[in-house]
Amino acid sequence: MSYGMLFNWARPSIYIPTLIGGPTFQLLFFAALGSYATNRSPAYFAIGNAVQVSALAGVFGMTMAIANERWFGTLPAILATPANRVALFAGRFMPFVLNGLLVSLYAFALGVVFLGVRLAPGSLAVAGLALLVTVFSCTAIGALQGAVSLRLRDGLFGANLVTMGILLFCGVNIPLRELPGWMQVIGNLLPFTHGLEAVRQAADGAGFDRVGGLIGIEALVGVAYAVGAFVLFSYLERSARANATLDVR
Amino acid sequence: MSAARTLRLVWFVTWFNVRMLLASEFFILTTFISPLIFATLAFFLFKSGGGAAGQTLLYVALGAGMMGVWSTTLFGCGGAIAWQRWEGTLELLVNAPSRYDYILVGQTFGAVVLGFYGIVATLAWGVLLFGMPIQATYPLILPLSLVAAIVSLGSLGMLIATTFVLYRHANALGNLLEYPIWLIAGLLVPVATLPLWVRPLSWLLAPTWGMEAIRGAATGESPPAFAIVMCFVLAVAYYLLARVTLVFVLAKARRDATLSLQ
Repeated sequence: MSYGMLFNWARPSIYIPTLIGGPTFQLLFFAALGSYATNRSPAYFAIGNAVQVSALAGVFGMTMAIANERWFGTLPAILATPANRVALFAGRFMPFVLNGLLVSLYAFALGVVFLGVRLAPGSLAVAGLALLVTVFSCTAIGALQGAVSLRLRDGLFGANLVTMGILLFCGVNIPLRELPGWMQVIGNLLPFTHGLEAVRQAADGAGFDRVGGLIGIEALVGVAYAVGAFVLFSYLERSARANATLDVR
Repeated sequence: MSAARTLRLVWFVTWFNVRMLLASEFFILTTFISPLIFATLAFFLFKSGGGAAGQTLLYVALGAGMMGVWSTTLFGCGGAIAWQRWEGTLELLVNAPSRYDYILVGQTFGAVVLGFYGIVATLAWGVLLFGMPIQATYPLILPLSLVAAIVSLGSLGMLIATTFVLYRHANALGNLLEYPIWLIAGLLVPVATLPLWVRPLSWLLAPTWGMEAIRGAATGESPPAFAIVMCFVLAVAYYLLARVTLVFVLAKARRDATLSLQ
């Protein structure tokens, strides 16, 4: 219900240009730019961006799913109910994780057909698991951004910053080891970095024994962001009740 | 309406729109922050290639800056008429004694002029963080190149404003058209490296010639006269097309009584 009501892009006239067309051209742009600038295979950039485009659904979607409650005027009604807050909060994740996966899988298909992406058949399940965990952790940072947005004038400002940050810091186009030390630290604290590395290695044929650790770290990062988002949401709820600012925009 | 009054109107609307856009967090991001992030990404990518592409940092900075100009033009102009509808000012502006297309020219130039900050920002970013040398092979031609690029992008912005209004979700079209124009206009990847069938599309785009005019004046081996002329030719073509579209759109909206409908 939150997906249908609160996700502004959940209609074909927005969904198709934004979540199908946008990722298509993002993949083509970075594959062309990356291979021109570095002489690396376009497939390297296609894999990075195929995983990253799930942020469009995960980060923007979750931000809207939480912050729009305030903008649509439904937040006081939601918070007035005795419903379990964890269930209320966690229930929003599932559609956005599935949506992120869908966008990512489409981008992978595009990479396979046009940009020379090859996935080792024996490691497809491991790559799929790594992708699922990465999309979850990206949705979790979207939830945190959504909670932050309850206090901001424009929640999508932060969502845009997060997705651009992921492009820059998480090894999507530039290998992490080639970034300055402080950027690597930020990259390691963000979702995507470990999950994307796991997807890359699994695509090359690495099994769970080799990438399990990376997937585990990615899952931990995701859970940490989800817990942080819930704590912030609960704090803002209490603070808004205390200061009578639930409906203040 | 005299030429002086027209210029004053366009100038006033341009300045007004710059101030309006500066109040929007989205445009702060698109104009001030996003070009720096993409410039950093591009700097690291070209650095990672160890000069494989044979391009200078200035080439990268100008390209990344123009990416910001295109984003601001696309989003700032794409929703121009739709915003006037939402704010309830479209009917007033259309029925005002001043010609509506002049108001739209000012509005689109406001977005483009603001977008050109992106080029200044990426140049400063490149100098401060990456030690990029600033140079211009033809410093006297550079201002003319910038004017040509602004005029052609402004006219393209007007065409975007008048056509996007036919689509209910103009911002979604903006999301769709950001990356492809970055690519086919040769902002960071030369047009010559793209497939042959893409090149005629590049030639129809103002960012292609605007970029070539600016790069030609900054780093070119000969003055970018052809690119500058193409900017002005395209500007006239875009303006005429936008005028025709605008007349059609407004006539349709008046006939269907949908001028104020969202």
